[in-house]
Amino acid sequence: MFTTQRLIVIALCAALNFSIGSIVYLVKLPLYFDSVGTILCALLLAADRRAAFVCCLVCAVTSTLMTGLLVNPFLPWFVATDLTICLVSAFLTTHAAETFRARPPRPAAFAGSVLRYGIITGVCAAIVSAPVVVYLFGGVTGSGSAFVVAFFLKTGQQLMSAALLSGLTADPIDKTLQVLIAALLFRATPTDFVTMVRAPART
Amino acid sequence: MAKEFIAGPNFSGRSEALLTRLRGGAQGEQRAFFIGPYAEAALSGLSSSVADEIALYRARPPRARDVFSRLDPVAAGARKPQSLSGGEQVLLALHCFSLSMHDTLGIDTALEQLDAVNRAAAIDYLSSGAFDALLIDNHAAPSGWRQTVRPPSPSPAFVIDWAALNATVVPRAAPVIDIRRLNFTYRHGPTIFRDAAAQLVPGRAYRLFGANGAGKTTLLKILVGALAPAASEIALDGKPYAPWRGGGAPIAIATQNPDQQWCGATLEEDLERRRGALPAGVAIPDIPKLAAFARALGVSGLDQHLYELPLAARKRVSWLWPLAGVHPWLVLDEPTVGQDAATRENLAALLARLCAAGHGIVFVTHDENFARLLPHAVLRVENGGISSL
Amino acid sequence: MTPNGAVLFAAVAILGAMVSGGRGLAAGYAVAALFALTQIAPRTGACLRRAAIVMAPLAAFMLIIWVGVVGKSPQEIASNAEGTRSAALFYVATVAARLFLIVFVLQAVLLRFDHDTPFAFVRALRVPAGAKRMMILTLSLIETLRNAVDRAYTALVAAGIVTRGLSLKNLRTGWILVQTVWLTAITTVTARMRDKWPVEDTLALLDPALDGGERRLSPPDWLWLGLAVAALALGQYLVWAHG
Repeated sequence: MFTTQRLIVIALCAALNFSIGSIVYLVKLPLYFDSVGTILCALLLAADRRAAFVCCLVCAVTSTLMTGLLVNPFLPWFVATDLTICLVSAFLTTHAAETFRARPPRPAAFAGSVLRYGIITGVCAAIVSAPVVVYLFGGVTGSGSAFVVAFFLKTGQQLMSAALLSGLTADPIDKTLQVLIAALLFRATPTDFVTMVRAPART
Repeated sequence: MAKEFIAGPNFSGRSEALLTRLRGGAQGEQRAFFIGPYAEAALSGLSSSVADEIALYRARPPRARDVFSRLDPVAAGARKPQSLSGGEQVLLALHCFSLSMHDTLGIDTALEQLDAVNRAAAIDYLSSGAFDALLIDNHAAPSGWRQTVRPPSPSPAFVIDWAALNATVVPRAAPVIDIRRLNFTYRHGPTIFRDAAAQLVPGRAYRLFGANGAGKTTLLKILVGALAPAASEIALDGKPYAPWRGGGAPIAIATQNPDQQWCGATLEEDLERRRGALPAGVAIPDIPKLAAFARALGVSGLDQHLYELPLAARKRVSWLWPLAGVHPWLVLDEPTVGQDAATRENLAALLARLCAAGHGIVFVTHDENFARLLPHAVLRVENGGISSL
Repeated sequence: MTPNGAVLFAAVAILGAMVSGGRGLAAGYAVAALFALTQIAPRTGACLRRAAIVMAPLAAFMLIIWVGVVGKSPQEIASNAEGTRSAALFYVATVAARLFLIVFVLQAVLLRFDHDTPFAFVRALRVPAGAKRMMILTLSLIETLRNAVDRAYTALVAAGIVTRGLSLKNLRTGWILVQTVWLTAITTVTARMRDKWPVEDTLALLDPALDGGERRLSPPDWLWLGLAVAALALGQYLVWAHG
């Protein structure tokens, strides 16, 4: 399962998850994008979905723990969200791998795949994240979606359903953007590298 | 001990010949150590502190061999190898080799990143050390070494058409960059500039000198707008210049590691995005003109995936935007690393022509042969100031 | 104290914070304070400052949302009560206190071992060799990417692709910086895997450097673990006894 090439891809994608925070900070964007590397890991290993899931999960857990220790101590609590993103990325988003790398590009198919899998990822992530947001953060995580939670609370929703509705509002947008970036990075990755990481494990 | 110098022009197969020799030892009989030409090629890629990099390679039990110590391992211990300058990374690699179990050392143009003093020390160490050494370098072979000369490839790739490049040079009026007062301190970090002043006049080339951490990169970042100084006054032809507030900079950069400057995966993407990002008032070069530049630099098509080019070719393509004359000021960081002597001479001549035509050039280099070929003034960055020599 | 002991201590202390209510946190704070004062004594202030820097924006957000906008606590919402801002404030204070404790414990453990090199720290952990290799590789690549981010950012600002401040342009083209950094890292890693590693058998050097350093839990480790467990138990008792 873990060839040297796959270990490198996992570490690279985990490092990318970690480093995107500093890029976002430099360009002053109010976004998180901490799962781009996870989704990209799955796409790179798309040919073998089981390997894609396992490597994706190792990548997500590694980056979450590193980021949790060194930057954002609240991230590790969302490990179930990471698992969900890995499942969706490895078993669903990878269906679009060929579309993402098609030359010449097929813009409509590309956009359609990004939207479809971004929304699925976002909805699943929102459902799994809601309990963590409620029980650890009391409903407010310090992002703009907290105002959406406040809105739903003011309309009489209970905390859990407000957090869930807030997540369902924000996460599909966030995850669609992340799938888009992962798809663009996957598209730009040299063919030699993709071939190298997809080389089968020697038995 | 065998000391072999592999000479030859770019793309003659020198690097592959070196690697074949290094891989060629029978299993368990010799272990080779490789310091390559590309970014971080001196490092193992397995450590995030200098102390760990040394610990990784240190032989257990220690070998009775001279230790190469131009980089103080104690002072540098907590630093991250990736944040060292290219030259420091090479010195670290040599230190690690000297402590290791490896019997053969192969170096592919990496010594070109060293200043004259460290380079001489490294050559001395390689020449006198009790180990086999193979060296590729675009300067003269060390004395006493066996030379293997690789002939030029019969079907050369990435051939530069210097005549075509020289023919593109047209008169240009670059603005005077007047750094009247410059102050900069990193947040939670050291003060780099304290009331520093300098004037960059068009039609001249300036070589930026300074120790690691002195502020060379910081100065370049301020001039292109990536950092905002405090309480400073910079003028462009007498008018206030503050690129950190937006509005662009009349400067084209070629970075030391060419991969860190690309704006796209293919050359076409890169150039399209650069064209689209040009501020108002700057003439947008047309695609056929840029394609002609690419051909002159040895790249046949704009659909070329940049990262699939060999390193020496990527380095040359990184000159395209500066040489295309889009901006009147050019900044070149170690432009000749990995380039053979003929390329070095021709590049120096081309840059001299650009200066004569009115462009301004700022460059950083450890290549004294290149510096000698390009008439220049020296700007020394140290102790918070900038002085002209 | 060993890294393994510190990790276990942090895990139990954090678990205690998670399951404790308002009063129950007092025991956790007492143990965390004792840990900081004995293990990182001169840098307790720095630890507090770091934790405050992490927590302050989140706490401010919580105050704005719960006290400023919603005006009542979740319990009052659940029971359809009229609700008061003071109840909301108490709720925010409890959640913030829990989160601050978690952050403080993590920062204290990190500071305790920040003189260790990554190799020394990872070497001492009792985890599978594969996990150690992954941690080391990832840490190294994080530094590679960090360096690439800095250089690429300068080049892309110079090219006008991204701007220094927030801008619509950055929304449209900020991802190009991610692409440049990603492709730079791939190129570096590919070259290493093709040339340096096979020549040197570099990866084979890693396992001996990381193996054999695992340390059993020391007596101080057991002491701190015991204190963390006691704090957890006391916290639960306080919650049960006082609500």
